Amino acid sequence: MIKKIKISRSERIILIFIIILGVFSLTSLIIIKDKCLFVKNYNPSNIQFDNPQNIAVLNAECGNVIIELYPNVSPNSVKRFKTLIRSGDYNDVAFHRVIENKIIQAGDLEFGKRENLDYGRVGTGKSGLGTIQSETDGNFKYKRGSVGLVRSFQMNTEDSQFFITLKDEPLFEGEYTPVGKVLYGIEVLEKIKFIHKMHIVPRPDFINSFKMLN
Amino acid sequence: MILFKAILLFLTIITPLKANTIYDLIKIPNLEIYEINTENKLRYLYATKPFRLGVNVKYGHLKNIHCLNPNKKTLDSKYKIIKRNLNRYSSDFLKRINLKYIVLCEDLSIAKINTAGIPNNLIRTLILDIEFNENYFERAIHHEVFHIISDSYKEFFNENEWKDFNKKNFEYTKCSTCNKKWDLALYSETKGFLTEYAESTASEDMAEVFSHLMFYQNKINSDDPIINKKIKFIKKNILKIDNNFKF
Repeated sequence: MIKKIKISRSERIILIFIIILGVFSLTSLIIIKDKCLFVKNYNPSNIQFDNPQNIAVLNAECGNVIIELYPNVSPNSVKRFKTLIRSGDYNDVAFHRVIENKIIQAGDLEFGKRENLDYGRVGTGKSGLGTIQSETDGNFKYKRGSVGLVRSFQMNTEDSQFFITLKDEPLFEGEYTPVGKVLYGIEVLEKIKFIHKMHIVPRPDFINSFKMLN
Repeated sequence: MILFKAILLFLTIITPLKANTIYDLIKIPNLEIYEINTENKLRYLYATKPFRLGVNVKYGHLKNIHCLNPNKKTLDSKYKIIKRNLNRYSSDFLKRINLKYIVLCEDLSIAKINTAGIPNNLIRTLILDIEFNENYFERAIHHEVFHIISDSYKEFFNENEWKDFNKKNFEYTKCSTCNKKWDLALYSETKGFLTEYAESTASEDMAEVFSHLMFYQNKINSDDPIINKKIKFIKKNILKIDNNFKF
């Protein structure tokens, strides 16, 4: 005959403790894994803009980044930027160069697309529209959230790549063509994947969509 | 082969991250901002550690430019002198000649030969040795600025045209350091050249004339016809770049 062994009080406490610990660990894992949990997602249709025709909305993993473009500061560059946004060319393009708390870079339409990301060449691709002249004479302060066009070491080589600053960059003034500023959602950009000490982000985050508001 | 490609790609991707705005802009390491809010938009940087730079040489790429980080006290005092001299160039003029960054360091040398400055109009930068010979320090600043000017406007500062100003039997050396003619003292009797160093190359000769014009604020009185022709040439071509330029 098998004798039924009654669970002791101390054993019961340990069992409850293990169950609580398990539940706590699992919950923490889910919360921590969701990097977007505390990031506010702005809905542009709930916001009033002074110049809605110059508002662009970039959607990334953690939500919307609402950018105001400045055609009065750099008319030709904003025109190019708007053309590429309207054509949908920036959709599914990688944030290929991300430096923590400093800068994020995207917009390589040739080698940065989700379906044919080329790690060896990303950052060197072209749009096919040709390069444009730098517009660096305008009065623009490169504060946190400024959006500018990437160029090579030489001036007048801007094309489709752009960057957004995550900190003030006074040395950029007069060096890089500004196109706009982030109005809402800079915290979305701070969640973009980066890797310490790596020049190019492996398995990077992507732009889900980039559209003009109007 | 796949493994080799994977290793190569891995090495490419993990190249050390130089998240340094100054380095990205002018490709000179170990620099910090000294002053960037200036009237004529020049940006003054200084070396926080010694740095080495490469220049293209005939048989490869050598890092033969070397400079040390300056002493803070010297830097503060020399900065005032440098700024006072460079403030004579307007932001418009500086933009036209491609000069934006002034790098301040100590004991600057190229191929182990000490020099007052190293100009590079392609990176819009002039590296200055703040410990350069006190007697000629201020004038040397303008001398180096001229090299930026002439490199940006080679068509205006034609060396063959310049050589014709000299006596027919005179020949410059092949390079500015090819002999020991390095003295920067103003000749009491010029004979076509303001200093011994001016006799080294046409380019250095032009820079010497320009720097004297700037340093002595257009008060060079010379009975030397060659010097007068050279002064006229420099003035004429500088005014082509900026009609409002003041010597």
